Amino acid sequence: MPELSRNYYEGVAKMKTNQNPFIRVLAIRGIGQVLSALVGLFILCIIFSIINPNFMSGANILSLMRQTCPYLLVGIGQAFVCITGNIDLSIGSVMGMSCMISATLMTRNMNPWLAVLIALLCCLAVGVINGNLVARFNLPPFIATLGTMTVARGIAQIVNGNYNTDSIGTGAEGFRNVFYYGKTLGLFNGVWITLIIWFVFNFYLSRTRSGRHIYAIGSNVDAARLSGVDVIKSTTKAYVVSSFCAGVTGLILCASAGMGSMETGMSFELYAVAAAVIGGVSTLGGSGLLAGVIVGASIWAVLQNGLTFANAPVAIRNIVIGIIVVACVLIDVILRSGKKLSQGKKEEKAAV
Amino acid sequence: MKKFFAFALALIMSLSLAACGNTATPSAGSTASSAGSSSSAASEKYTIYLITMDQMDAHWQKVNAGCEAAVKELGDKGITINYKWLAPETKDNQKQIENIETAIADGANAILLAANDATAANNAIQEALDAGIKLIYVDSPASVPAAATLSTNNEAAGKQAGEILLKALTDANITSGDIGIVGVLSSTDSCVKRENGFRGVFEGTKFNLRETQYMEGDTAKSQDAASNMINDGVVALYGVNEGSSVGVGNAVKDSGKPILAVGFDASSAVCDLISGGYLIAAMAQNPSIMGHDGLSAAVECLQGKDLGGAVTDTGVTAVTKDNVADFK
Repeated sequence: MPELSRNYYEGVAKMKTNQNPFIRVLAIRGIGQVLSALVGLFILCIIFSIINPNFMSGANILSLMRQTCPYLLVGIGQAFVCITGNIDLSIGSVMGMSCMISATLMTRNMNPWLAVLIALLCCLAVGVINGNLVARFNLPPFIATLGTMTVARGIAQIVNGNYNTDSIGTGAEGFRNVFYYGKTLGLFNGVWITLIIWFVFNFYLSRTRSGRHIYAIGSNVDAARLSGVDVIKSTTKAYVVSSFCAGVTGLILCASAGMGSMETGMSFELYAVAAAVIGGVSTLGGSGLLAGVIVGASIWAVLQNGLTFANAPVAIRNIVIGIIVVACVLIDVILRSGKKLSQGKKEEKAAV
Repeated sequence: MKKFFAFALALIMSLSLAACGNTATPSAGSTASSAGSSSSAASEKYTIYLITMDQMDAHWQKVNAGCEAAVKELGDKGITINYKWLAPETKDNQKQIENIETAIADGANAILLAANDATAANNAIQEALDAGIKLIYVDSPASVPAAATLSTNNEAAGKQAGEILLKALTDANITSGDIGIVGVLSSTDSCVKRENGFRGVFEGTKFNLRETQYMEGDTAKSQDAASNMINDGVVALYGVNEGSSVGVGNAVKDSGKPILAVGFDASSAVCDLISGGYLIAAMAQNPSIMGHDGLSAAVECLQGKDLGGAVTDTGVTAVTKDNVADFK
């Protein structure tokens, strides 16, 4: 945590008691990175609209929102884990596992909703295992989740005897509509599901005591433990959230493709970290807002979508994505180091 | 605490027992010395490896099935084949090179290879040839000359797909517009040839073929790319392999627009999309013939016959609504 002067804290306190709602929002800790990323997002959208006006068409906006959902969901999960100061590498594999388990059961003519329940329960089990390995047995989170990552990928392969599944069939049309193809009130169902999940977890993180504990562990785990926070339970809760989100994302991908592929979700843990970090969650723990994950996931989805509309060749895509992601985080770092400098100068003047 | 450890250990041990018992994985060796090979003391015995691009695509599993069928037939004739299937988890040049080196170290007599890249594995391939191993290409050749190649003539298949699409467009009175192509990797030779054959058909027409979107054969990514192109106003789409075709078909279904699309490889999901009218056709390859004839050719080669680098086209069948029932 950067050391900030007393003037700064007094200023923030004044902002928080201000009548104007906009100024109150600006006082929330961590909102700076979210706002600068938001600026970056707008600039990207404008650039892509100029290159190809179809980018801003109604059909594409709806499509873009739906394409953001997988990144947003895994980003929420990864954000929870990052805020506790850990990392979850198993997200992509849990997605694959959930996709394969649900698809395999559906091809065996099981009721799709029962298959969904079983798949989610398996994912929650992985989350519990992750949490215990990291908090109870003190394994470094990188190693623990690397292990569960490879095991989960193996389970995804073994579930259907090392084959991709057949088509999940017409009996699953209802399931496919609910998770991917159907629309409610003009927006795709997947978007509603993601928004509901976001609201629930945002409330949990920002307004409940358990949420405060999650920040506490990431900020200073020893102080938290001495203050009576159950570190094992809170870490496990964060990992269970992460696996749950990965599980739902796997179901969305199963619904979209209508079959299960064993390689579903490859590299998604990295996209999750990208969405969380661009949105202001620190990988060191203790800070970050879930609102930022929306911005981070949107930037990632806009890049993929916009570059297709710009008809960009493959090599350019990867270079552009890398540069823009770095630029978004850099803007915030530069703006914040500027604020620190100007505070320091005011201090010197006051001292003199 | 101790109880948890004991339970975890027991779980791990039982899981590894189950894993060893699973015979469906490609890297578990299957010594196919089946029924009829009991007679001669001087019976031929060869170690043959199949190395494909990955383990997951149904296409490679059919190649493997063809090989296993050939192994059984040869076993009945008194020839024992120690047959193994190796492949990286995902398309990766380095991992495929490692697979080739494993085959050499394991004393393979012949390798059936589906090269991920035309030149990347050449050094490993040359090592194998120097060690006296016979080389046969299945599905995708590399640039090092081999005893024989059995593959789909991808360029001809792509051309056939293009012709089917062009006819459908003309029948629907569409003579100009954008056509989108969802590809795999710009380095996968077989898929690039399918693109080239396809593009060749549209030269001289008023259709504009867009920059290929390479989506690694991932169904979700291919579907997103295809959806974006549909929203951007393309009139037709082309998917160059199974994953791409599933993505393209699903995107057409999702958009509800009358987009004409052709694909490649007739898996269960692709057949469903054809039945539903979202793909007008898919080019089904004959991977089991590649495997079966490839293995038989390898044995002939080991018995001393000179195959002379012959290239055999194992052919494609256009799967449409009329004949899709045969492929399900």
